[in-house]
Amino acid sequence: MTTGCILQIALLLCFSITALSRSFNLLQFQQRSTNLECQRLMMKLSGTPESCLNNRTNFEVPKEIEQPRQFQKEDAVLVIHDMLLQIFEIFGKNLSHTGWNETIIENLRSELSDQIDRLKAILDENTEEENPTWENSTTMLWHLRNYYTRIVQYLNAKSYSSCAWTVVWTEIYRNFSFISTLTDYLQN
Amino acid sequence: MLAFLGTTALVLVAGAPWALLAAAGGEDLESPQNVEVSIIDDVFLLKWNSSESVGNVTFSADYQTPGMHNWIELPGCQYITGTTCDFSSVKLSVFEKIQLRIRAEKGNRTSPWHEVGSFIPFRKAQIGPPKVHLKAEDKAIIVNISPPGTKDSLMWAMDILSFTYSVVIWKNSSSVDERTETVYPGGKIYKLSPETTYCLKVKARLRLHRKVGSYSPVYCVNTTVENKLPSPENIEVDVKDQSYVLKWDYTYENMTFQAQWLRAYFKKILGNHSDKWQQIPGCENVRATQCVFPQKVFSKGAYFLRVQASDGNKTSFWSEEKRLDTEMQTVILPPVISMKSVDNSLHIYIGAPRETENKSTSQHYPLIYEIIFWENTSNAERKILQKKTDFIVPNLQPLTVYCVKARAVIEDEKWNKSSVFSDILCEKTKPGNTSITWIIAGVCTALFSIPVAIYVVKGLLRCINYVFFPSCKPPPNIDQCFSEQSLKNLLLSASEEQTERCFIIENSYSLVTVEETSQVDEDHKQYSSQTSRDSGNYSNEDENSGSKTSRELLQQGLV
Repeated sequence: MTTGCILQIALLLCFSITALSRSFNLLQFQQRSTNLECQRLMMKLSGTPESCLNNRTNFEVPKEIEQPRQFQKEDAVLVIHDMLLQIFEIFGKNLSHTGWNETIIENLRSELSDQIDRLKAILDENTEEENPTWENSTTMLWHLRNYYTRIVQYLNAKSYSSCAWTVVWTEIYRNFSFISTLTDYLQN
Repeated sequence: MLAFLGTTALVLVAGAPWALLAAAGGEDLESPQNVEVSIIDDVFLLKWNSSESVGNVTFSADYQTPGMHNWIELPGCQYITGTTCDFSSVKLSVFEKIQLRIRAEKGNRTSPWHEVGSFIPFRKAQIGPPKVHLKAEDKAIIVNISPPGTKDSLMWAMDILSFTYSVVIWKNSSSVDERTETVYPGGKIYKLSPETTYCLKVKARLRLHRKVGSYSPVYCVNTTVENKLPSPENIEVDVKDQSYVLKWDYTYENMTFQAQWLRAYFKKILGNHSDKWQQIPGCENVRATQCVFPQKVFSKGAYFLRVQASDGNKTSFWSEEKRLDTEMQTVILPPVISMKSVDNSLHIYIGAPRETENKSTSQHYPLIYEIIFWENTSNAERKILQKKTDFIVPNLQPLTVYCVKARAVIEDEKWNKSSVFSDILCEKTKPGNTSITWIIAGVCTALFSIPVAIYVVKGLLRCINYVFFPSCKPPPNIDQCFSEQSLKNLLLSASEEQTERCFIIENSYSLVTVEETSQVDEDHKQYSSQTSRDSGNYSNEDENSGSKTSRELLQQGLV
């Protein structure tokens, strides 16, 4: 066996040992299972013709969410909590034109609500202590909320039509991949 | 000339008071002071003080958001005569920074602008009073709370789920008897007395954003006459096999009961969700004070359960709602352990629990294992907490029986969930450690000695080859001793060989052919290859020609 081959095997062993030894806390586990469950439920919602996707709008996802740099655990909890909150609210709006199964929507909102409760419990603990970085964290929050305001205004403007909901469905599905990235920052 | 001077002087004299007047008027108005923005729910107010006298002074304000380059007139705040203006109609984006400025005006004169530093409306906003609708039962009051702000409220649209409401309730007769409770929007206040007037007020709170709202007005309501049938009490949910067991207490016999469920999140959003309660299958019209239903009925999530009693004609009010969190009910199966004794230590393997067929996917929670082991004779237990599933307990007594049992615990400080203990396994430790150590040592030395042996053997072989099968190569630097090329070639040429081909001729008719190879390699090679290829022919030809020539010679000689 050549030295090159041995080196590759050694590197592979090192990486796999590092990957396996990462500690795995309960909150991260619960968040990951929520992410997976929500995506699974969203896939069960019937789609509409792809011609609707021609109306795609750029809702301008905040850069801090799209390409997150190093996130503190508290900020990650704050952002994920708010994102789940907004998605919960969006799925509570007028869905009569979509023809989506009500039970699936209820299951989805139930899943979101439970995880929101868990995250809220942690946030309430954190707000007990005065946090000096609160200002910076909330600036991110305003950008995020402006983004969701744009989505809701779009739905309003299109009168909650089936096509508008398809576009929003795509955007929300994309949100879950952002949330998955942020979930990695929930480590202690 | 004089006349010109005179008119100029006149104009100057006449103009002076006007100039003075103009100068006095150009003296600016004082801009408003103590300007503040007050936002309660969706009502945006701008307030200020002014030291100017009231007569004919008006105020106007502008606003600017980061995207705009100019100041825009603020609707609802133009030429205001008072000291407050309402600009709620603008429908500002509540999470975007905004800047305001205001000035006083009187006729053509204006004061300088007084700027209010940029702010985010949401941050300045205060929570107004929530709207409350009450419905009384005999021992409880249903409190339907609508969140603060209007129905299309922009300010709190994104936080409706985060509001917590605290209710202060007291008996109208005595205000001393106060109670404060936190309720859901669709919540109920229990443990009240029938036929009493209760008054309450509610306030909303957004804990995350550190906002506390103001109290609603006081609402009073009378509880009804006590119902003939009391509601069921002490609702409990247990798990048995693959089913939930719902139990409650009831004072009377011979009643039928029914149970309903609701997804927990409906309680957090506004509105009357009485139509969302659904019957629990297997719990309609049961006669016992318990009912059993399969776990499959509830997918993962949180629910509320309630029970009602009926005697055929009348029904009781619904019982207190019991929260059921399916995640809390998950049963963690005990692990399967196997053991092996290695010298005076035990090697323990913890395996995944035996899964029953009914469980489709077991939740793979992050687990740690609590292992308890003791000597079979004594009762002294030792506890180890381990995350790894494969480990060794060292330094035990040899030739002793040890027993082990383990259970899985969810790795979280707040959540105290663990499985039952696994079966107890006992194993006897091996005697001493000498044999094992020797075996290990032997194996190690063997492993170490193999390369050494190979190296030694190689050296020996080289030695033998050198002695018995020397190579014919002369030392490489010997050619320095020879200067003449021909001698060198004679002695040293390894690549080229002097070849002599000799044919031994038996009869006199053939000639001896002698070949000499040339020194040039390529010719030599070609030549030799030629000869080698044509050797037969050439020699034959030669023989023939040779024989011919000899015959000719003989003939010539004879002649």
